[in-house]
Amino acid sequence: MINREKVIEVKDITKKFKVYYDKSSQLKERILFRSRNKYEERLVLRGISFDIMKGEAVGLIGNNGCGKSTTLKLLTKIMYPDSGTIKTKGRISSLIELGAGFHPDMSGRENIYTNAAIFGLTKKEIDARFDDIIAFSELDAFLDNPIRTYSSGMYMRLAFSVAINVDADILLIDEILAVGDANFQAKCFAKLREMKAWGVTIVIVTHDTGTIERFCDKAIWISEGEIKVHGPAQIAVDEYLRFMNSKKLESMLRKEQREKIKMEPSENIGRDDTAVSEQESLHFGTKEVVIEKVIMRNRNKETNIFENGDNLILDIHYKVNKQKDEIVVGMGFYTVDGVCILGNNTQIDRMHIPVKQKTGKIKFEVSNLPLLEGQYSLNVSIVDQDGTPMDFYREYCNFIVISKDRSVGLVSIKHTWEVEEYETIQ
Amino acid sequence: MLMIEMIKEVYAYRQMIFSLVRKELRGRYKGSFFGFFWTFMNPLLQLIVYTVVFSVILKSPVEKYYLYLFAALVPWIFFSSSITGGSSSVIASKDMVKKIYFPREVLPISYVTSSFVNMLFCFIVIFFVMLVSRSKFNFMALLCLPVVMIVQYILCLGCAMLTSALTVYFRDLEYILGIITMAWMYLTPIMYTIDIVPVSLRPIFNMNPMTPIVTVYRDILYHGRVPKLGTLLFGFILGVFVLVVGCCVFRKLQRHFVEEL
Repeated sequence: MINREKVIEVKDITKKFKVYYDKSSQLKERILFRSRNKYEERLVLRGISFDIMKGEAVGLIGNNGCGKSTTLKLLTKIMYPDSGTIKTKGRISSLIELGAGFHPDMSGRENIYTNAAIFGLTKKEIDARFDDIIAFSELDAFLDNPIRTYSSGMYMRLAFSVAINVDADILLIDEILAVGDANFQAKCFAKLREMKAWGVTIVIVTHDTGTIERFCDKAIWISEGEIKVHGPAQIAVDEYLRFMNSKKLESMLRKEQREKIKMEPSENIGRDDTAVSEQESLHFGTKEVVIEKVIMRNRNKETNIFENGDNLILDIHYKVNKQKDEIVVGMGFYTVDGVCILGNNTQIDRMHIPVKQKTGKIKFEVSNLPLLEGQYSLNVSIVDQDGTPMDFYREYCNFIVISKDRSVGLVSIKHTWEVEEYETIQ
Repeated sequence: MLMIEMIKEVYAYRQMIFSLVRKELRGRYKGSFFGFFWTFMNPLLQLIVYTVVFSVILKSPVEKYYLYLFAALVPWIFFSSSITGGSSSVIASKDMVKKIYFPREVLPISYVTSSFVNMLFCFIVIFFVMLVSRSKFNFMALLCLPVVMIVQYILCLGCAMLTSALTVYFRDLEYILGIITMAWMYLTPIMYTIDIVPVSLRPIFNMNPMTPIVTVYRDILYHGRVPKLGTLLFGFILGVFVLVVGCCVFRKLQRHFVEEL
């Protein structure tokens, strides 16, 4: 169906930027203050190669500063690579900057001509497209008003309508699909789909992985100037999100460690003296047996950030103030809204914990934590056989779960989707 | 080979040049009471000032000195504005250059073209003055006018290509060029006749590409005689040379415009 013809061929391109510490573009300064001309060379792209076929929609993803926008700029020929080659076939229209050359004092009509001319259209070509542009922008009533009287939404609509009606063979889009209201956005996407069906090649740079999954056939994930994955959109997006999750986890752990150092000295004071009334409802009991501390950890180390599928272990340390025959230790996982996800204690699980020593430790373990991404809180309690609370903590602490499963809800349930088609549509 | 490609590309963007020229011409006197009328008013008032100064205060031996001066000054203004104004033409559109692709040559071309069109309007004033002062109209000579205009256009475009590309890298050039063009004006026989220049210095004067061009304009408009083709040919060769060099330099330098802007 689609003509397998290479329309973009990028071969081994590199791009360096000079980052000046104190840039001067004046001749005098260049000569007088040679020391100020120091700069650092930053390699933004380190040898990227990819081909894009006619009619493909390709998304470029990556974290900030990874070089994806630079790649797009190189494709439009706004910039040139330091080495390597880029070959493109056909007219390129870029939706990097909308409304280039718009003059606020000129009417919408005149600005359509100016703007379209910047895309390299001749007067005849613009005349032929004029009605389409106006129809798409839905601005026919305001056509003879100067642009400065337009709202920003109208401005973007006009600009987008021009850019999209250029009849490009290759369309490059950079994070600008946030134009206009929801209706207009839907219209833009419908138009883009239509163009794709005609065989227009589309390259999109965006942070919104949803857009890429919905719209693109393929995606290229660029990280630190190199291509990590180039393949079907879903696979690339998944890989990218997995990478981003692990990075998030890392930075959270670092933050946690920093905070721990800060928190430690004041922790005890805070818990005992201040906010008594609030503490009372969150922490109560007869104190005959008290919880000394609860350590939350995964298999290796203490943490309150878990990945879906991790082991979650609670070490509950208790101290006996008044001799009891038996104690019941309980726990609960709650959402931040207070919905109970799991509540359990040793009695429910038919365990008996006779009290013999003055202190002790109870271990609670969840292997393969099924929770979805989000923040949760932990309750812990020690009650006697009749259920009288001896030491009860509501929201003892919060913990965070990070998940690869992108479902919504609370619990990750293994699932698959299957499609069966019976009849082809005529 | 590269040249042909460039010309093709620029030709494809002719509508952009056209709309930029129109914007420049219309925008120049925007907001003023007389508006576009200033395009004619401005040279006419200048002419009146020169006439008063040089026929009342500084009496010049040259007959109809105002026309003598004006026939050279109007082309000179086109030339000097191409150099100084042209030098900032890329920087002035830096937002566009940074964000969107188009052959960058379009910018100096449209600036020079708008200056050229402005000169054409001034010529209407000159013709009007020639009529009023009952100067000699030589139709054969007037036919040569488009030729010299094209020659000058080529020269101006070449200079603007050079200065616009270089100014992106050295911003000071914009101000240095202001001084250079002022000095250049006094080194070109505009205010005076070439006859008062010492013969020993004449070769240097003739190296100046504007000298033959100004001489030709004056031949046509003031003396009413058909100019010598040899004079023009030198200007033409020099103009083409500057343009080719200018285009090559521009092509090379424009690759890093975005990073420098």
